[in-house]
Amino acid sequence: MSESQQISVSKSGVSKLAILALALVFAAGLFVVGFDNGHIVNFVFAEDGSTGGIDPLVIHELAHDMRHAAGFPCH
Amino acid sequence: MIILFSGALAGLIHGTVNFAIVEPYLDQAIGIENHNLFESGESEDTPEFWIEYEGYRTWQKSGQILAGVILGVSMGSLFGIVFALSRNSLPGNHDVKKSLILAGVMWFTLYLIPFMKYPANPPTVGDGETIVLRAILYLSFIAISGIGAILFYKLSKKFKNNKKFISLIGYGVFISVAFFVMPENPDEITAPMNLVNEFRLMSVLGVSSFWISIGVILGLFWNRFESKKEA
Repeated sequence: MSESQQISVSKSGVSKLAILALALVFAAGLFVVGFDNGHIVNFVFAEDGSTGGIDPLVIHELAHDMRHAAGFPCH
Repeated sequence: MIILFSGALAGLIHGTVNFAIVEPYLDQAIGIENHNLFESGESEDTPEFWIEYEGYRTWQKSGQILAGVILGVSMGSLFGIVFALSRNSLPGNHDVKKSLILAGVMWFTLYLIPFMKYPANPPTVGDGETIVLRAILYLSFIAISGIGAILFYKLSKKFKNNKKFISLIGYGVFISVAFFVMPENPDEITAPMNLVNEFRLMSVLGVSSFWISIGVILGLFWNRFESKKEA
């Protein structure tokens, strides 16, 4: 009497590059909505301390209502 | 691509739900803020004030939907990573069931438990001076809960089927200790508590709508597109 045994090996099949890209999207989106307080505008536009008329808090204000609603700390 | 699209759709639903049920509470809370500004003399109740106010409130309200999509893509990416890596271990015989179970676990560990320690607050409650401290506390507790859940899940694999509940109890003890050890939110609540509590309830409903949506949508897309690739 023979006994057959099936061994299934499953791999997730997810590329490391895809995971890295998704992790970056996760971190960037979380920062924009949850924690930016003028950092992005200051980083991208600021020259000699000036943002050329762009309010540094423009992203903060855009995310303001979702920030409160989703439970992130705000003021 | 289906992960990003699922996140965007779930985020759109989250933003729309918030627009319908959370915005009225935000307006009430900001109304109290404005009243306090007039009382303290920081601002004057003039037509110019209200023109400026309407301008930035319109910007903030329109951002509710857009920020919902951005946050949805962000959290959807995290959800997609975890789902892709854990799908073979998740219980259930259908991708939607697996995806919903994972969404429930992530909703509980990454949102509900941190929310119980550091609940959402409407405008007027948060002090600008403490925002960095509160952000560190909130992120830290989310990380502690999430990493704890992963570690105890890995531990559960070492136990036989009828002993797996031990790791569940372990996570419960671990997160309870963290709950009591972590410092409290330093801000005093000066807004009416019925407004704060109703706002918090709406916040929970809004975030829950996201996790249910991402569970259903990604499960359906995965079943439609990814499972066929594997077959």
